[in-house]
Amino acid sequence: MKITDACVYPYPCGDSSVRRMALEAKSLGFERLVANDIPPGEFYGIEIYTGLLIRDTAVRDIITRIKRERNNHAVVSVHAGDNGFNRAVISTKGVHILRGIQSSDKYAFDHVVARMAADHRVAVDIDLSPLISGRGITRQRAMHRYRDILVLEQRFEFPIVISSHARSILEMRAVREIAGICSLVGMDTPDIEKSFLGVDTVTAPEETAVKVI
Amino acid sequence: MSTRPPTLREKRRYLLVTIDPPGTEINQKDLYYTISDATTQLWGDVVAALIMPAVVASEGQFVIIRCLRGTEHELATVLSTISLCRDSRIALRMVAASGTIDSLRDRMRRVKIDREEICLRDCTFDKKLYQISQCNGQKVDVIEKGFKNTNRLFLTKEDLEEL
Repeated sequence: MKITDACVYPYPCGDSSVRRMALEAKSLGFERLVANDIPPGEFYGIEIYTGLLIRDTAVRDIITRIKRERNNHAVVSVHAGDNGFNRAVISTKGVHILRGIQSSDKYAFDHVVARMAADHRVAVDIDLSPLISGRGITRQRAMHRYRDILVLEQRFEFPIVISSHARSILEMRAVREIAGICSLVGMDTPDIEKSFLGVDTVTAPEETAVKVI
Repeated sequence: MSTRPPTLREKRRYLLVTIDPPGTEINQKDLYYTISDATTQLWGDVVAALIMPAVVASEGQFVIIRCLRGTEHELATVLSTISLCRDSRIALRMVAASGTIDSLRDRMRRVKIDREEICLRDCTFDKKLYQISQCNGQKVDVIEKGFKNTNRLFLTKEDLEEL
């Protein structure tokens, strides 16, 4: 179980190399990064997982893409859409994280989707970028959506992951700072600790419900 | 008007903060306005009046920020939401909190920053020519050469050696 930032964008998407991000993550208290479109590895003691973000695609194409990338052992995330799309994505095998709930419509994530996420062990992402760099209504809306997600999480216990979506080392935040930011949306210390370990939960191999002796 | 005796004064706390990236020239007044705006935007006027943030000292990469005792956590959260001061992209990293400025100055001396002298030599990364603007251990900050694109890249020595 490692403290993980579930989404960063190193160079060429951002302005910092993956090594520099790993170096910074180490000083900020992280043990693992999920870096989009970067091969896996380990730099300065920080484990790097490959992240694959799929967005603006039909469900059929998502399934094809996941099948194609199956051997890469990437952490697969899908950008949320409307309610029907989210239900279909969550029940797709190989999807680990549902992202961008804060920017999707109001009814995109309801109690049915929450229950399905818990059943299929698909995590919901808490993107910190609107809380860090957003101002006014953008930040207020994000905070409102996250509070709503956390209410459903308390009820259905689906996994949650925290990500900075940093494109630069200047957008990365320390573990303690993230705890402070998450407390704004009503997360307490055990919730935050659990969320930092959310990537482990969704990438761990599934245990069989019934053991055959 | 005589000064109040110590027991009647407001209890204050001081936060030691570093400004990233190193070498960024930030005006103390601009930083104060940035922090003040961020406090108001995050907590509103009521809590901002309780926190009463103020930039009391700025020495190189370090800044000492004052607040009322008991509001350090709120101020620390505000600092983590700051990413821009004027037109400069920055990150404020909290190092320590204390009740006196003196102890933070001691801490400042102890936090030794092994920064090498600014070495303005050229290097290549991703088939482009860059100028090194800052070196600190493994960390290397480079700026693309030319007048069109002067974006700063954050790399390591290994990144430069590899290419």
